[in-house]
Amino acid sequence: MFGSYKVKIEGDLLDKVKQCADAGGYGSVDEFVTHVLEKEIKKVFSEGDSASRELVKKRLQGLGYID
Amino acid sequence: MKSNASSGYEERLNDDDRGKPVKNFSWVLAGLLLFCAIALFPSCQRASGIWHGEQKLIILGIDGMDPQLLRQFMAEGKMPNFSQLASQGSFRLLTTSIPPQSPVAWSNLITGMDAGGHGIFDFIHRDPKTMEPFFSASQVKPPKHAIHLGNWLIPLGSGSAEQLRKGTAFWEILDQHGVPNSVFRIPANFPPVPAQGETLSGMGTPDLRGTYGTFSFYTDDPSSAAGAVEGGQIIPVQVENSEVKANLIGPDNTFRKGSPVATEPFSVAIDPLEPVARIAVQDQRFVLREGEWSDWKRIEFQLIPFFGNVKGMCRFYLKQAHPRFQLYVSPINIDPADPALPISTPASYSRLLSEEAGEFYTQGIAEDTKALSAGVLDDNEYLQQARTVLAEHRRIFDMEFPKFHQGVFFFYFSSLDLNSHMFWRLMDANHPGYNAGLAAQNGLAIQEFYQQIDLVLGEVLPKLDAQTTLLVLSDHGFAPYYRSFNLNTWLLNNGYIRLKKGGIADSNEPWANVDWSQTRAYGLGLNGLYVNLGGRESNGIVEPGAASDALIKELKEKLLTVKDPQAGLSVITRVDVAREVYRGPYSNSGPDLLVGYNRGYRAGWKTILGGFPPEVLEDNLNPWSGDHCMDYTLVPGVLLSNRTVQADTPALTDIAPTILAEFGIAKSKDMIGQSVFQPKGSAP
Repeated sequence: MFGSYKVKIEGDLLDKVKQCADAGGYGSVDEFVTHVLEKEIKKVFSEGDSASRELVKKRLQGLGYID
Repeated sequence: MKSNASSGYEERLNDDDRGKPVKNFSWVLAGLLLFCAIALFPSCQRASGIWHGEQKLIILGIDGMDPQLLRQFMAEGKMPNFSQLASQGSFRLLTTSIPPQSPVAWSNLITGMDAGGHGIFDFIHRDPKTMEPFFSASQVKPPKHAIHLGNWLIPLGSGSAEQLRKGTAFWEILDQHGVPNSVFRIPANFPPVPAQGETLSGMGTPDLRGTYGTFSFYTDDPSSAAGAVEGGQIIPVQVENSEVKANLIGPDNTFRKGSPVATEPFSVAIDPLEPVARIAVQDQRFVLREGEWSDWKRIEFQLIPFFGNVKGMCRFYLKQAHPRFQLYVSPINIDPADPALPISTPASYSRLLSEEAGEFYTQGIAEDTKALSAGVLDDNEYLQQARTVLAEHRRIFDMEFPKFHQGVFFFYFSSLDLNSHMFWRLMDANHPGYNAGLAAQNGLAIQEFYQQIDLVLGEVLPKLDAQTTLLVLSDHGFAPYYRSFNLNTWLLNNGYIRLKKGGIADSNEPWANVDWSQTRAYGLGLNGLYVNLGGRESNGIVEPGAASDALIKELKEKLLTVKDPQAGLSVITRVDVAREVYRGPYSNSGPDLLVGYNRGYRAGWKTILGGFPPEVLEDNLNPWSGDHCMDYTLVPGVLLSNRTVQADTPALTDIAPTILAEFGIAKSKDMIGQSVFQPKGSAP
């Protein structure tokens, strides 16, 4: 529905992004940038996702008070 | 026991003495100074940085000891030591916290403040920006940054554990005044705050997986549904040639991309004829007969080859060898001999304790109530485990108490609380979970644990002398939990919560399909009710001020009218407005309303994290059948002392000032209460 979107990164920032992608073992700059964006967007979305809520629920169940 | 602490005090004494000028005074001046010294005796003691006095204070913290049950057992002659203490000293009801939940209550005791001061309002808090729930008293955080190397993720720096309780603990103040102290397993002290004396963390201490207890159950029984159950995991295995191969489930391996769980293989050789199995894990081999528990087994989980590992320990229980294989493995506990997270002060203390007293559950809530609720352990099996927990506590007590000679000794027992939660249904024929057959077997389980605590008191009473004050206290009492009230379902039915167009109410998934742009209030935790407040909640819609105040008033009035059609009783007997009952800087960060349930009622299992069961009220058929998360005036705790308690209505917030006053230390200005040995309202 949304297709893809190209972002232009250049100069000093591009060099740093390449360095980080290499150091992190990413296959490409695209893969690294996508991963970073996913992580940041997860933080921004205020309602959290159901998987992380499920994880939190599991952690808390040992307290005894919740199902 | 006091070797480290004592040397510290001695060092400070020497520092204080160093360089003091020696002068000749006239007798008059000397007499004047002597008078001042007597008048200011407590301050002089404080100024010296060492405690010179002989005063001693012993505190037994008995979670969940209920005054009604205690009176009953005393009247029946079941608790002679408590009867002796009550008749020779004092026995009072102890006003609990709002709400009456252990992390809140013990934080009141620890700091002398209410939730507005220490910031713990419930077992469960939420981040208003994400609506994500978390355990209120502590958090374990992974490292913030990491380097990716292929599939490996190398954390930069280590993870951390953070204590969320605010305020100063009474033993920190004792430390400042040089009063030696030891504090064992007090809740809401994980990770333990820096301290001079020995402390061991209690409720709030996670297992090695970072949860508050996750058991594993291995079985080849196809009727057991594989996967996660509440508080545990059912793992299907195959028996081939009388052998089972499986993996112990460890912590998330944050060294690897995606943080998969770390595992360690183990194998079980089942005797084809006898109900016996031999378990092999790492370099350990041991045999269990059906119905037998292993002792603690140390397990090392390798996170990154040759570089990172983490140590834990667990206990195995062979439930059945034939015809179906059933093996329970306890949550992997932090190994006290080599703790992966801080659990004691000094850090080495937990190791010394395990060397002297043997291994013990380090997990904050050690009784595996979830294994009983899930049917993985039956009543008898759970009782064996719960008895072991108390036996471990008593072993540590028996080792440490005789070493106590000065200052303060605090020891916490969890057994009455957890076992009143689990066995109320077997001593109360009105409970919907009551079963006469099971009651005939274990209807006296709660009494048994009360009597065990009486034996502990029996060890203490002979040691009391004129210089020793004893406080025996509980954080709250207990009540039956017959029926669940699903607060969020009630809010939904009454239009305070709205779902997205076409969305369906979901029992299990927290906040599924909630339209926050139309939702005015929501319940979270066991007693908390929050306004969806603009400027606080990320999708808050209720304007602070008049609109919020009006909504709070409306909710309070409506909730107090809720009746249970089945019994004709009020479900909610009290609703407190947070800003009216809390004092302190955090008064506005918790719930806006505290819902106080009538005896017999509690927030439903699914509503606590934002689920919407179809019915507003339903029977509680869970083995967890007693509770205390109710109207705080209905579940007071107990306070007994060998001295006369002057306060008619002492409260948990009086305990920290009482402890300090025993050593001539003035309470800090943010403490609410006063010593229970002074009449209420008298000058401290």
